Amino acid sequence: MPGDTLITSENDTDIDLDFAGDGDFQENHEREKHKGKRRNGDGQKNKRENQRRKRSSKSVQGIREESQSKTERGERGRRRRGKDEHETSGHEGNEGKRDPTRAKTTKSKKNIKNEKTRKLEGKEDREGQEKGEKGKLKLVCAKNEEKIESGDQLKEKEKALGMKKKKKSKKVVETSSEPETSGEGDDEEEEVNNDGEVRPELLSPEELEKLKEAVEEKKKLIQSLRGKPWPMRQKLVTLRESQLFVEKYEGALGKGKGRKLYAYKVMMTKKWMKFQRDFENFKTACIPWEMKIKEIESHFGSSVASYFIFLRWMYGINMILFGLTFGLVMVPEALMGRPYGSIPRKTVPRAEEAGAMDFAVLWDFGGYAQYSVLFYGYYNNQRAIGWFKFRMPLSYFLVGVGTVAYSYMVVIRTMARNANESGIGDDNSFNFSWKMFTSWDYLIGNPETADNKFASITTSFKEAILEEQESRKDDNIHLTRFLRVLANFLVLCCLAGSGYLIYFVVRRSQKFALDGLENHTWWERNEVNMVMSLLGMFCPMLFDVISTLENYHPRVALQWQLGRIFALFLGNLYTFIIALMDAINLKRKEEKVVKFNITMWEASLYNGTGSENSTAPPITIHPADVPRGPCWETMVGQEFVRLIISDTMTTYITLLIGDFLRAVLVRFLNHCWCWDLEAGFPSYSEFDVSGNVLGLIFNQGMIWMGAFYAPCLPALNLLRLHVSMYLQCWAVMCCNVPQERVFKASGSNNFYMAMLLVILFLSTLPAIYTIVTIPPSFDCGPFSGKNRMFDVIQETLESDFPAWFSKVFSYASNPGLVLPFILLMVLAIYYLQSTSKSYKEANVELKKKLQTQNEENKKKNKQAALKAQTDLEEARKSASQAAEHQRDTDASGQRREDDEEIYNKNQRMYHGRNPSPSVGDREPHFPVRGPGPRNCHNGNQGNSRYLPGFHQQSEPRVYRVPSLERH
Amino acid sequence: MYLPFSFYSKMASPAIALAFVPLLLTLIIRYRYYFVLFYRAVLVRIWKDCVTGLSREERAFQYVLTNSTPGDPDSILDAFDYWCSKVEFISNIGPKKGKILDRLLMEQNPLTVLELGAHCGYSTVRIARALPLGARLYSIEMDQGNAAIAEKIIRLAGFDDDTVELIVNPSDEVIPRLRSDYNLDKLDFVFMDHWKKCYLPDLQLLEEYGLLGKGSMIVADNVLFPGAPKFLRYLRKCGLYEWKIHRATLEYSRGIRDGMAELIYQGIK
Repeated sequence: MPGDTLITSENDTDIDLDFAGDGDFQENHEREKHKGKRRNGDGQKNKRENQRRKRSSKSVQGIREESQSKTERGERGRRRRGKDEHETSGHEGNEGKRDPTRAKTTKSKKNIKNEKTRKLEGKEDREGQEKGEKGKLKLVCAKNEEKIESGDQLKEKEKALGMKKKKKSKKVVETSSEPETSGEGDDEEEEVNNDGEVRPELLSPEELEKLKEAVEEKKKLIQSLRGKPWPMRQKLVTLRESQLFVEKYEGALGKGKGRKLYAYKVMMTKKWMKFQRDFENFKTACIPWEMKIKEIESHFGSSVASYFIFLRWMYGINMILFGLTFGLVMVPEALMGRPYGSIPRKTVPRAEEAGAMDFAVLWDFGGYAQYSVLFYGYYNNQRAIGWFKFRMPLSYFLVGVGTVAYSYMVVIRTMARNANESGIGDDNSFNFSWKMFTSWDYLIGNPETADNKFASITTSFKEAILEEQESRKDDNIHLTRFLRVLANFLVLCCLAGSGYLIYFVVRRSQKFALDGLENHTWWERNEVNMVMSLLGMFCPMLFDVISTLENYHPRVALQWQLGRIFALFLGNLYTFIIALMDAINLKRKEEKVVKFNITMWEASLYNGTGSENSTAPPITIHPADVPRGPCWETMVGQEFVRLIISDTMTTYITLLIGDFLRAVLVRFLNHCWCWDLEAGFPSYSEFDVSGNVLGLIFNQGMIWMGAFYAPCLPALNLLRLHVSMYLQCWAVMCCNVPQERVFKASGSNNFYMAMLLVILFLSTLPAIYTIVTIPPSFDCGPFSGKNRMFDVIQETLESDFPAWFSKVFSYASNPGLVLPFILLMVLAIYYLQSTSKSYKEANVELKKKLQTQNEENKKKNKQAALKAQTDLEEARKSASQAAEHQRDTDASGQRREDDEEIYNKNQRMYHGRNPSPSVGDREPHFPVRGPGPRNCHNGNQGNSRYLPGFHQQSEPRVYRVPSLERH
Repeated sequence: MYLPFSFYSKMASPAIALAFVPLLLTLIIRYRYYFVLFYRAVLVRIWKDCVTGLSREERAFQYVLTNSTPGDPDSILDAFDYWCSKVEFISNIGPKKGKILDRLLMEQNPLTVLELGAHCGYSTVRIARALPLGARLYSIEMDQGNAAIAEKIIRLAGFDDDTVELIVNPSDEVIPRLRSDYNLDKLDFVFMDHWKKCYLPDLQLLEEYGLLGKGSMIVADNVLFPGAPKFLRYLRKCGLYEWKIHRATLEYSRGIRDGMAELIYQGIK
């Protein structure tokens, strides 16, 4: 495709030059190019061209040639149609300027043909031109002819709606023009054509005027072409021809310099268009994973694709989080901060040194990993680092706050945008109409998925009808209620059990930590993460099984399922955090002891040395030997990193075992198994959109929670998202089957966003709590030595800003000012909310009005149509009656019967669905046989009265449906 | 779940084992019908075989003989259904899918019917019951013992040799000889309920020997469970048939989905 456009664009320039300069050579040149292009295309046509050449050298059999060229044109049109259709439908405007090269070749067949003969004859070429320049008179008249012909064509085109008709007439026109010119000689005619392009000065003003008109008409035609009720083929042909015409003569209208300028302008606009198109393509190509997602979308429908779009969106956000933490925290510390080993907090303690480089230790993010920029504890509390005095602690704090603030902003903005989009389309009225006309997912490109979609639409219809029935009968409501309560009870039990299990495990792990982790196995050390991941994986399955008890509508069931999984994840996460809080408190107690010990140790150190020489410089102790506090912040960061890692591993392993291995087994064991593995028991797995989305959301929540204490978390998450993008794309395409119920993703997007927002809020809570309430460790991290972490702001205000600023700030932070401000904000929110509510109500009102109006119109239309129909029938009947009357005036009894028969027939036609006419309806109709018009009218009345009744029968249905669908 | 301390201190911790409980529950609940089926069709059968020394089909026959009215096909079918749903499991076509079969037979009104796989004669009786006067049913059973029981059941139901002819041979041997030995020109109705793997080869044999004419109906049971994937794949591909699957559950079991394929031979278009 790109190559092709490139070629055509070159040709575009050719043509433009063609207008400006000498046409003949260019024409040849261009044709050669075209020939080259065609040669690539098909050899068959070349053969035909050769044939044609032979014939045209004889140059008399105009008609036959013409017909042949026609067939060829048709063929070429067919060949190009796929592309053309695609292009013209997209941007006709562009096409209008790009296409003509091809169009030219097709339309100015005569030209080219003749030129071919000329090429064979070589010299005549020049002679002909000379002739042309000499014989101006001839030229003018020939030009007239040409113009008339084109005008004729135009008219023909506009007149002829049917294709065949048009073709025939055109043929007539062209054949009629051909003999005349051929009578004069080939060369003559073609020179005329050429010069028609090259020398417009030769035209008289009236002719120019005419030409202008024709061009205008053509332009109009091009514009209105899309709305014409023609077949596509005809449209394309017409478009091409009129484009060629405009292209050919528009340039000719200007004079001298103006013409050149015009040509230049056209060329530039074309180039600009082309550049824009290319740029658009480039932009699409630049969107990461776009093609992959499109492919998945075509196979699995938009709901699965929505997950991947969500994943990509998440990736973008994490990219920015990563940029912030990496660029403003990790890199400055690594480059400008004190190097490793300079101070105790940046050194691995002596006790751990031996195993600090072991893989097992590094995998647990201990050893050298712990004492690096990856974690909070490594950062120094030096106020400014490096040669440009980078305020490290301030930067650390602001980045921590900034990431969260940015996330809030993005999520809320996206939610607002989604709400705007979904606000209109998501209404429950006309439910069946929506289902009828909009349920197809046009992005599906895979037959299997299409089958599934078809089935799901059918089932959705069935369900809607069933719902209607069920809402009426409501049998055994007690059993359903009992089952639902039971299901919820079971789910609650399950949630409580999982919560308790996690609590138990965390407590146990604390015990292990007190004992010293080295005495325990890997299983025991990673128990918390393992249990959390496993529960997060298996409990949703159990919920799914339990939810079959409830017998909800699938959409409702999906929401319940999501809610339950959400509760489970949240419970697990919060249990984990509570346990972590316990651990923090433990560490802080330990810290107190250590702090006391350190002062003792230092005192003893100084005392020991001080006794000898009080003025001697303090003894240098290797930083690895200095005793230090437990640094709870690093511990928290480590916990989160471990959690993320184990979560990622579980996800990937589940993917490999649950999807890939299963798919392999099903695929290859199916040949030698006693039942159908593919259709029966294990089958292939479906892509679990809701579970995956929830997993992603919670993962992000953990990142938000832990990123303050472990700056490496966004980087890790970025890596994880990147890998899972590729891995999941692959896994979906390779080992999943499309869902049995393919549902569209519309509307659910904001649901995910809302969940993300909730999680964001819930995950920032503990982080803020720890920052605000717990004092930082005394000997590690950027805030060591301060009472609270946010004191860093105050410090900056005091030392880095002028005094008035801190004064202003202190005033601004005065509760007397803050409280009114918050009050104002609350009021503003309330106001906005109430206005939006009133808008919504107005919308609903308008919608209702629209609906009633529609109903009214429909009724009116129907009545009018019926009336017209009955009138028509009456007229026909009376006509037939009159005929009958004339034929035999005697047999009136028979005629009566005949009439009745006719009437019955008519009635059957009217009420196709309601074949039994009521007696009351039949009665007033009998007088119809009488010739009086009043009676006729009466009959009509009866009918029209009857039919709206039939209509009314169906109407309550239309009203009822939305009310049923609403719940 | 509580293992001795010495064991779990070495292995994974009990908490991790407990985390697998939801998975276990899920599997048990989700596949409970299969477990029940396994119990009834395999475990109970082996146990009874050992205890009584009779084969399953013989036990079924004994029950039917004592609990039904001779000469009344309905009562025989009812007795079978009762035995299969309450006592033991035999994969007959069952009452629900049987109704579909009855309906198809009523609509088709076939004169020559071929049944592949008579087993104990349940489906034979079912088909013979629904046949019009003068129709003839050829029933093929491979197993000698089963065929003997089927014969008894058929006679018990009161169908004579003119209506039902039982052929004891493997289907792939019988089908080629149908035209020559039994003077069959065209089959109006074929019912398949034998080995699921033989569905496709037998169908192809039928096609090959020209026993199917335009409008012949073929009904194949159990195409989803235990399932005949190759058969279905062939149907999708070949285009000789107008076909659909009647979805139902497995006989004498509620939760296992199964289907019956209905094919109408269209010939080569």
